[in-house]
Amino acid sequence: MNIENNMKKIVYLLVFSLNFMLFGQRQLPNISLKTLSGTNTTLTEIAEKNELIIVSLWATWCVPCKNELDAVADVYDDWVSETGVKYFAVSIDDSRTAKRVKPMINGKGWEFEILLDENSDLKRAFGVSTVPYTVIIKSGEIVYKHTGYTPGFEDELYNRIVALKN
Amino acid sequence: MNKNILTVVIFFISIANYSQETQKTSTFNKIKDRINVSLESNSQWYLNDSETGDFEEEEKLRASSYLRIDYQISNRFSSGFQIESYVPEPLFNYSKLFDKKIGIGTFYLNYKTEKLDITLGHFYVQFGSGLILRTWEDRALGLNNALRGAKIIYDPTNYLRLTTLYGKQRKGFDVSNSNIFGFETQFDIANALQLETLNSFQLGMSYVGKQEEFKKEAATGVSQPALEIPELVNSFGAYLNLEYKSLYSNFEYIYKGEDARLNNITPNQVSFSEAALFDGNAITWNIGYSRKGFGIGSTFRRLENMRFYSERNFSNVINNPTSDLSMNYLPALTKQHDYTLANIYLYQAQPGLTVVSYESPLIKSGEIGESLDVYYNIKKGTLFGGKYGTKLNLNWTYWANLKSTYTDPSGIPYFVGDDLTYETELLNFDNKLYSEINVEMRKKWTPKLKSIFTYINLNYNKGFLESKGANSFVKAWIGIAESTYKLKGGKSVRLELQHLSTNDDAKNWAGGTLEYFFNSKFGLYLNDSYNYEESKITENTKIHFFNLGGSFTKGSTRVGINYGRQRGGLLCVGGVCRPVSKNTGVTLNFVTTF
Repeated sequence: MNIENNMKKIVYLLVFSLNFMLFGQRQLPNISLKTLSGTNTTLTEIAEKNELIIVSLWATWCVPCKNELDAVADVYDDWVSETGVKYFAVSIDDSRTAKRVKPMINGKGWEFEILLDENSDLKRAFGVSTVPYTVIIKSGEIVYKHTGYTPGFEDELYNRIVALKN
Repeated sequence: MNKNILTVVIFFISIANYSQETQKTSTFNKIKDRINVSLESNSQWYLNDSETGDFEEEEKLRASSYLRIDYQISNRFSSGFQIESYVPEPLFNYSKLFDKKIGIGTFYLNYKTEKLDITLGHFYVQFGSGLILRTWEDRALGLNNALRGAKIIYDPTNYLRLTTLYGKQRKGFDVSNSNIFGFETQFDIANALQLETLNSFQLGMSYVGKQEEFKKEAATGVSQPALEIPELVNSFGAYLNLEYKSLYSNFEYIYKGEDARLNNITPNQVSFSEAALFDGNAITWNIGYSRKGFGIGSTFRRLENMRFYSERNFSNVINNPTSDLSMNYLPALTKQHDYTLANIYLYQAQPGLTVVSYESPLIKSGEIGESLDVYYNIKKGTLFGGKYGTKLNLNWTYWANLKSTYTDPSGIPYFVGDDLTYETELLNFDNKLYSEINVEMRKKWTPKLKSIFTYINLNYNKGFLESKGANSFVKAWIGIAESTYKLKGGKSVRLELQHLSTNDDAKNWAGGTLEYFFNSKFGLYLNDSYNYEESKITENTKIHFFNLGGSFTKGSTRVGINYGRQRGGLLCVGGVCRPVSKNTGVTLNFVTTF
């Protein structure tokens, strides 16, 4: 029967992909990003200059993203002085909302770095389907990935960077 | 299993094997480090519903799934592909182009150095703000309009970027029957001239051409155009970005070349209308100012006849509700709200040229409007700021139909070979379609308790936007309050209450959400929207549109399950919408990357 065939295909696809469960990307994708003033940069370049960074993909229209960034903004000074971590919030806002980024971050008083991924190139390279999506990069390698935000996640993130620092 | 898939899989396995033989022990780790796999599956089991009726389609269990694999072959080369499965059927209301059950959606090979970036295969690209060209993927919308061909980005210096591309556009698992050419140059003047006074000064220029044959012999009867159909449609764009201290301005202009207009009276047939060709244009201008604790930004946009498809048949919007084969990005510039009741009266951008009625011609030729955002952070320790400060966002937006006057010298009240033509005014905001003012306030009360309050007041021209002609407005306001309380051990609870008040259309709605997280990984929620007031519009009256579900997240894996009843209407992501029918069912979403 047709359905049976289709089910076989699904199972095959799943088994095939499960094979890759053992794997895990550590190398940074070589993707072009824009700074707020419009110049081009890449994550690789940023990682070369900074030992420990957190990259969080977000959007101006995403409520949990803003919750995460607000929560991090509250404790960011402490994070920097204690661990030297740098936080990069990469906006995946497309041209519809990208113009809201600048007034929003200033209006909110966020002090971390902001980058733009206007056509979702980094989002695709990370294989992200929903934001927020948070990645920790140490010495140029991806060491942790997390999807979504729940209240209190910032504490977990903090514990991880402290552990990585030591 | 599809042969193409096997070929690609074998290709990747052979790369893996090849390096394994040459480098032995560390190879496994090397591959592991360089591969990125992501899997997403969205499935729904559609159920019959005693309140809203049976699900009448044959296939009740449907799924859209995506497996994407990217591999960094060396420092310069990377490659990847995406397998898509719509077994046994894609989700309800998805594009009809995904008729093939399973196959390779996209694939690419990329070579990248500091100055050169070459992609062969499928690629995503955006020129300027996307008004002239943008290809992207949105799985929730079921949209993927990647180009398949070649893209070369060359940076001869750090202030100049040249992009050249050629491709055919993705059409389901196939490609369009047309050729797309593009060229863009981005010149960073501030950088080139070492201007110290300006933070940014950039000029961009672009060209996009679409070449598509027209076989005159194939057209018969009303399909026969009364004029020569252009094979090549050329578009040109330019933008200028300026930033001085805390001020910024971005201006962009697009001219879209003359093309034939399809009529939309006979949707199942491609027929041409006027004995005239029409061109289009777009103007957008953003200005803003921001400093710490305060930001203001304004966007003006005017679109006239700006729909641009890689195949002219797809410009018949009635036949193409899912915007397949669109080449540019024309989102509504209203604020996107995350709350259910704020998504009932949604404004959708009106960029196209359509003759709504021929008897006494009513022409929609585009839209004009404005959106303004203000962000303000009330400082800590002040009366309204409290201990933690208060964050405010005000948004105002207004959109109107372009004011146009028509001429119809022959007076034939029909569309075949008619000489109907139109003219528009550059700046006329009289024909109001939509306006909205909304205020959002975010407040942290204690380290554990946070709230968000939202007030929206909108005016929606339902008559003009949803049917032919006469203005009739829905005036509504929506109030939303949500609070999150953080408990110990990652536990938290969130309560959200919503109310929509209007004396028009279907009248009042109430709604709410209760969400509880047992820890940072596992949460449950229940939400409901209820049109509790009697009105002439009985479609949704006294039906609970509820959702009950939960999600489990660990690292980059997320599993969500939902049981609920969805209201029919528009599903919009990033200002692009597709219609969804009312449905009830169980949804399962699974996402992972590794």
